[in-house]
Amino acid sequence: MSQPISVHNLKAWYGTQLTLKSVDMELPASQVTAIIGPSGCGKSTFIRCLNRLHETLPGARVEGDVHLGTQDLYKVDPVDVRRMIGMVFQKPNPFPTLSIFDNIALGLRLGGVHNRGQLREAVERSLQMAALWGEVKDRLSEPATSLSGGQQQRLCIARAIAVQPEVLLMDEPASALDPVSTLRVEELVEQLKDTYTIVIVTHNMQQAARVADETAFFLNGEVVEFADTTTIFTNPTDKRTEDYITGRFG
Amino acid sequence: MKKVSSGIKTADKVFHVATGIAASSPVLFLLAIAAVVVVQSIPSIRLMGWHFITGIEWNVGNTYGALMHKNGVTAAAGASFGALPFIIGTLASSVIALMIAIPVALFTALILAYRLHGWVQWIVSILVELLAGIPSVVIGLWGMVVLAPFVAHGLGPVLTHVGVLIPYFRGPVGTGMGLLTSGIVLAVMVVPIITATTRDLLQQVPVLYREGGIGLGMTTWEVVRYIAVPYIREGFIGAIALGWGRAMGETMAVLMVSGNAINFLPHNLYSPISSMAAVIASQLDSAMSDGSGMAVHALSELALVLLGLTLLTNLLARLLVSRTHHRRQGVRA
Ligand SMILES: Nc1ncnc2c1ncn2[C@@H]1O[C@H](COP(=O)(O)OP(=O)(O)OP(=O)(O)O)[C@@H](O)[C@H]1O
Ligand SMILES: [Mg+2]
Repeated sequence: MSQPISVHNLKAWYGTQLTLKSVDMELPASQVTAIIGPSGCGKSTFIRCLNRLHETLPGARVEGDVHLGTQDLYKVDPVDVRRMIGMVFQKPNPFPTLSIFDNIALGLRLGGVHNRGQLREAVERSLQMAALWGEVKDRLSEPATSLSGGQQQRLCIARAIAVQPEVLLMDEPASALDPVSTLRVEELVEQLKDTYTIVIVTHNMQQAARVADETAFFLNGEVVEFADTTTIFTNPTDKRTEDYITGRFG
Repeated sequence: MKKVSSGIKTADKVFHVATGIAASSPVLFLLAIAAVVVVQSIPSIRLMGWHFITGIEWNVGNTYGALMHKNGVTAAAGASFGALPFIIGTLASSVIALMIAIPVALFTALILAYRLHGWVQWIVSILVELLAGIPSVVIGLWGMVVLAPFVAHGLGPVLTHVGVLIPYFRGPVGTGMGLLTSGIVLAVMVVPIITATTRDLLQQVPVLYREGGIGLGMTTWEVVRYIAVPYIREGFIGAIALGWGRAMGETMAVLMVSGNAINFLPHNLYSPISSMAAVIASQLDSAMSDGSGMAVHALSELALVLLGLTLLTNLLARLLVSRTHHRRQGVRA
């Protein structure tokens, strides 16, 4: 069963530069939360704090706390955090030296699954969910880099869901995709949200409106407004949110 | 269209010829050296045939006695040039060097590329490069004074216990001058070369790919093992080959710690050896006194074998490094 994420007084630095200034958010379980905001406002930084990826950069620092259910994520091994919280990146990044099959199977193998049949099944299931199976089922042993950009991104989605995390973070997963693949990713999000808590960063207002239950508007490292998606898009309380979604800046 | 003046045309021709000469000079230089070595080797090749690389006895013969005529060439009586001990000495010591250097260099490079940042990284990098710049005679001196006694009295006696499993580790340990000490000295010289190249390669692994693994919940080691190292694989092998070439060609340091074995093959890990490079350096002087000239021809043939081996490893290295490069570009697209 998926669990909610609660973020309290979260701050993040790059070197001495404070990029995330005290973020408080409750991300409900089994829902899709969209993060919107102008470029450079800290959307990626925010979700990278949720799976503790931010701290892996030299000089980067985090303060505050993040809970998954009742678990304080900053008090457990970061490796375990990342097994519970999967991530899809802004740019497709399949493992370049591995085959399509192994890209998905590696996470499972490292998680202790070695049975050939089980692996095949899990790989097929993940690829089905990511709407990629039909296109790659006859070329599973080819290198992942032989796929197109959009296919690579769906492979990364499949790779993330294969290990069955509880939360899925997606950083503009469709920014490199054509309209058809974008639609597939959105359908996938719709389908996955029963089992996963999903956080999706997007520049695409329509996309947020289509897939998200809740939407947060970020500006300069702060949450300006966080409410259910309909409210944000039809009746925002903050003037800056309204300006942004009506395209007056950003 | 305006006509190009003949002055410009001449300048252009001069430029072409000049760049042509400049560009081809390394090739010409290499060919010239190879030609000399080959020509100088011919009498020895005729005298010894395949026995040169299968024979064990290296004997200049009686340079004051009667001359011997064999296979159409002339040599001192009793002369025999079997270079197998030196070929084995070169190969064995350089392979031992690699077996020590590869893990050390990979580990150091990983720490340099991923663990250290800022000025600490800078300082350690400088230290590694300084190590590469130490003259080999200085390392050889350290090998004689410090390492050889340590091998004889400390490391060697401990390693002989492994002899139960692997016969080559069995004693006697001897003076400490020999194969193992040569290998360690060579490792010290090769580590900086492999480390520097590997560090550069590791730093070129896009962080996006590593984050893909980290984000999936891989440990640091798993990211290295499954993403970074496979990504640089050919380049890393290339770096190893470069180091190998360096180890095989090294002369002075090996000459100082090898124990100068002649006419026998190494019988264990501590046995005295000689390498091709060391023999050429140490024997050339006395070879000059061979009136038949054959001793010099034999050393030339030794140089030819060494040149062939180092060229081979170097070519292999370039090939592998450039293949990594191509693939990396392919991945970026
Ligand atoms: N590795 C880094 N080192 C230093 N500063 C960084 C780094 N990554 C991001 N920043 C800075 O942090 C701020 C927030 O960046 P972030 O990537 O979170 O923005 P974003 O909202 O995801 O933008 P975009 O929509 O363009 O992806 C920006 O000002 C950026 O310049
Ligand atoms: Mg971003």
